Amino acid sequence: MAQQHGIIVLFDVENALRTRSLDGNTYWFDNMKFLGSSGVGTEQLETIVPGTYFLDGSQATEQVLNWLPAALGSIPPTVPRNYLAEQARAEDRRTLEELASLSAEGGVGETEVKQLQRRVGKRARKAESGRGLTPAKLLDVTGKATSSTEAYNYPAPVITDITGEAVTEKIIYPAQYGSPDMIYDGWYWAATVDTSRPGVYAYTVHVQLHELVERNDELVWESVDLTCESSLKIISDPKRNGFTGAGLGVLPLPPVPAAG
Amino acid sequence: MPPRTRQTERRPVRPVTITAVVDPVAALASENLDDNLYLYDTNKAAGSTGFGTPELRSRVRKGDTLLWNVLPLECETYVALTDIEIDPRIAEPTRKVYPGTDIVFWTAEVKQDLTEPVPYRLSFLLGTVSTPFSPTARPALAGPSDEGKEGR
Repeated sequence: MAQQHGIIVLFDVENALRTRSLDGNTYWFDNMKFLGSSGVGTEQLETIVPGTYFLDGSQATEQVLNWLPAALGSIPPTVPRNYLAEQARAEDRRTLEELASLSAEGGVGETEVKQLQRRVGKRARKAESGRGLTPAKLLDVTGKATSSTEAYNYPAPVITDITGEAVTEKIIYPAQYGSPDMIYDGWYWAATVDTSRPGVYAYTVHVQLHELVERNDELVWESVDLTCESSLKIISDPKRNGFTGAGLGVLPLPPVPAAG
Repeated sequence: MPPRTRQTERRPVRPVTITAVVDPVAALASENLDDNLYLYDTNKAAGSTGFGTPELRSRVRKGDTLLWNVLPLECETYVALTDIEIDPRIAEPTRKVYPGTDIVFWTAEVKQDLTEPVPYRLSFLLGTVSTPFSPTARPALAGPSDEGKEGR
């Protein structure tokens, strides 16, 4: 089993859209701090990648990197996949139920109508050139329908490419993969790493953010393409077992559970 | 430099979201949350500081809605914000879940403009450990008027 390194990129989407730049609006994380990654939580992450052999010199499998984007100030990616679609549908269902009960009672007050209108919300379509978004009801950052174009939940940023020195030097071989992943909508970018040439290699991540604009009385998602940089530090240290700090072997578990 | 637009006069429609990025595995292994907690908010343009540390200082104003949520670095490990202790004269956070899920977030309204930074305490549940983890360092809410006094 290849060693999987997760690299999470958190984007301050609101600021990035305003300044049209990811400079100062990107925070990088990986789960390799214990192996020596530096700059975790900042814009200057250097992800450590140890070699692909064990202490005894035997061959280990390749290192695999996975990039996972997230938007600051949005519904977190821990909610179930399809959450936004499910919520939009649930709101529609509730609206219809309320509408039905209103007509059954006969009288319709202004307050009820206003409440229903709020539930109906607004829908945005995608621009012709856009990708990755389907037309959907607008939800706010707490998962409720909204008709305000200033309160909507920013869609998750989409990585569209990974380029740069690490790629041209053939240190990483990035590609986008699809999987029945429960968290990141089934698409993710991953790369295997050539660890035979130690050094620090920079790479560029191409990101698409989405902005909601009103055009001809219609709401349209417009894509905004930006880039940000990070780097990998390939070292020749052997791969270590995260539990023992040594190579492969038995985990440090007592043969018999402690008496208690 | 990002242009300083009307942000200071305009009341944001979205809540000021404070996101706690937690590395639960590292925190559980080291029993130290301080080194494995990274706080961010969406109010950088208004002057929030301490991004990426447990000592985030969020710049807020009376009437702002605050929203705290969590982003775990390991999606397989459970992390939840279990409590927020803050002076109730400033804010009274309430626990909510994203509709249709059991994913927790907390919200509160800032009750008054702040002249001094108000520290608060966050508590998290990690993995299957039943005792909440709390960082020693304290994040704080700060008003616009203490600008310059603190020097950070």
